[in-house]
Amino acid sequence: MDDFEKELKIGFLDEASQAISETEQCFLSLESNQNQVENINKIFRLAHNLKGSSKAVGFTQFGEFTHEFESLILKIKNNQLPVTPTIVSLLLEGNDFLMQMVSELKENLETQFQFSELLEKFKNPPSEQTQVPEVNNSEPILSQGEVEKVEDEKFQIPISEKTVKKATISAEENIRVSVLKLEKLVNFVGEMVILHSVIKEKAAESRSVALIKTIHELEKVGKEIQEISMGLRLVPIKPVFQKMNRIVRDTASALGKNVDLILQGEETELDKTILDKISDPLTHLVRNAVDHGVESPEKRIQVGKTEKANVYLRAFNRSGRLMIEVQDDGGGLNADFLVKKAVQKGILKENAQLSDKEAFNLIFAPGFSTKEVVTDVSGRGVGMDVVKTNILDLGGEVNITSNLGKGTMFQISLPLTLAIMDAMTVTYSNHKFVIPLSHVHETVPTKDYVIQKSQLMGDVLLLRGENIKLVRLGDLFGIKSTHHTDQMITMVIRTGPVPFAILVDDILSQGQVVVKAMSPDLMGIIGVSGSTILGDGKPALILEPADLLKRKVQNLYIPQNLTSEGTKAA
Amino acid sequence: MSSNRFLCFNLEKEEFAIPLISVREVIGVPEVTPIPQSPSYLLGIMNLRGQVLTVMDLRLKLGIKNARTEETAVIILDLGDYHLGVMVDQVNSVVELNDSDVSEKPPVDSSKIAEAITGVFRKQDKLILMLDVYKSLSIEDRKSIKNEIKVA
Repeated sequence: MDDFEKELKIGFLDEASQAISETEQCFLSLESNQNQVENINKIFRLAHNLKGSSKAVGFTQFGEFTHEFESLILKIKNNQLPVTPTIVSLLLEGNDFLMQMVSELKENLETQFQFSELLEKFKNPPSEQTQVPEVNNSEPILSQGEVEKVEDEKFQIPISEKTVKKATISAEENIRVSVLKLEKLVNFVGEMVILHSVIKEKAAESRSVALIKTIHELEKVGKEIQEISMGLRLVPIKPVFQKMNRIVRDTASALGKNVDLILQGEETELDKTILDKISDPLTHLVRNAVDHGVESPEKRIQVGKTEKANVYLRAFNRSGRLMIEVQDDGGGLNADFLVKKAVQKGILKENAQLSDKEAFNLIFAPGFSTKEVVTDVSGRGVGMDVVKTNILDLGGEVNITSNLGKGTMFQISLPLTLAIMDAMTVTYSNHKFVIPLSHVHETVPTKDYVIQKSQLMGDVLLLRGENIKLVRLGDLFGIKSTHHTDQMITMVIRTGPVPFAILVDDILSQGQVVVKAMSPDLMGIIGVSGSTILGDGKPALILEPADLLKRKVQNLYIPQNLTSEGTKAA
Repeated sequence: MSSNRFLCFNLEKEEFAIPLISVREVIGVPEVTPIPQSPSYLLGIMNLRGQVLTVMDLRLKLGIKNARTEETAVIILDLGDYHLGVMVDQVNSVVELNDSDVSEKPPVDSSKIAEAITGVFRKQDKLILMLDVYKSLSIEDRKSIKNEIKVA
């Protein structure tokens, strides 16, 4: 196989996997709304394209399979075959096989397949014995030659025109770019912005109005470029959401449940890396909602609900973060039951007093599974804890709200991107650190509050009604300081297991920083999540406030004037 | 062949050589941001055209006394999946070697350097030590650096 042929084939496989996921959506909507002429046309067109191009690039087996698949779809199109759940299942089965072929061919272009059984089913689809024979009498099934003819006469010409038009538009609208290239672009744009600020300073010295004006213009352009290049990493959440249609359908039918999935906010954008990583946890939550969340149809009718259950999947933006909600209108979580179960499993001590919220969170505990019967689809006792870890790893949070008898909602909050973050740059002695803004609850001038110095507990900040542990940032990092507490700024952090406050000399700036990966040599420093490059071109560490207290505290405050020490403590 | 070319540099009076293929570039001493509570040979992190790299002092790493001079330079190593800067006293030249030029190292007592020396060769009258970048630096040390930082 020469390179050109190889390239063609690989190109086809990329195209095919897109088409196949598109047809899957069509098949699924076929079931909910049967007489969609347009939908069937679309499926037919996609299948036909697949057949044509697979043969053209030399995937004969693929072509053979799609040919039969197409014939089956044609029968539906010509109303020779009613759209029954059985037929939709068969179509989905075929679609799955196509997907499988594509992924196997991607691994090895020479892969051979066995599909005679499936083809047999395509040729003689299992019918529910409705009025199909009647239709057959009036309009006999077309022979192979006729199928081709029908295609050519009826659909080929108008459809292909339409397809060509669509193809050119999408070619203009989308270009595939590797994430690596994007990262490089973002790196260089960041450098450019830094160099720009250097030039700006120099220009101010020169006092040339024209130069200063040009540089000001350049700054605007630079900002624009930076914003665009950052935004390039954002993609709609749609593909992941659409995958859930299938998950819900399969899970529900395996369990004999009737469940509708309602998608909202599919166009909401998020970082590609997050999108890739959120797919698994989300699948688990959705599957869980169908399996454990919603009740059986009988039970639903018994309690006066509609037989058909609803699962909502929503995405939207809230205060610079992406929110995803998975909600069901099922039986809800029973806090008492969860606690009992946890005690039985030894996860919880007996007589533990838990709030409802704490009890709900038990389902995230490792080794906790509430279903008595381990089902085929979920409830193997693994998963929910992994779901939580996955979400936390992405810098996200997950919250449960539940109403007994009414349903449960999982609310996930995620950063929009891992590449940029809103942050504060702070100083401590001659060190600079970057603190993610999402962790900073508030900043207050320290002198406005009373600090209790305790031998046993260290410094405690009496912040309004609360007593909060107070640490000097430098004491966590072995940095000496002569600054008196009163001159410092207190930052209150509430994202850790307990609220605490850190003292810094000053807040230099607040704005977006580009997050750079830590070199492997430095990974795993406690309380540090990454690095970034500051406006002056110098690198700085990004702190992970939730972990800061895990570091050892060392008192490195060197008072300049001993008498001033402790005045506030009184 | 390019894989037979070596970059020679000095650490104090001793001359070393590393395969040129693992060298990305050589730069002057950059500005580094120190990492608090890290081992002394870990100089800090630097900005190389938008990339954040770790810089190590090879002299301190190998237990050689360090003295910064005008000749002090940082070699940016290409370690496959990432880049690393190492500070050396002086970068000298690139030499091309055949296998026959290289001989085994004379027996050395176990010092930090000894393990990382893979062989020696003569340049004029001078003996140059061939250094295994991976052994002398990060790769095997990654874990230990982590630990040192954690304990600190």
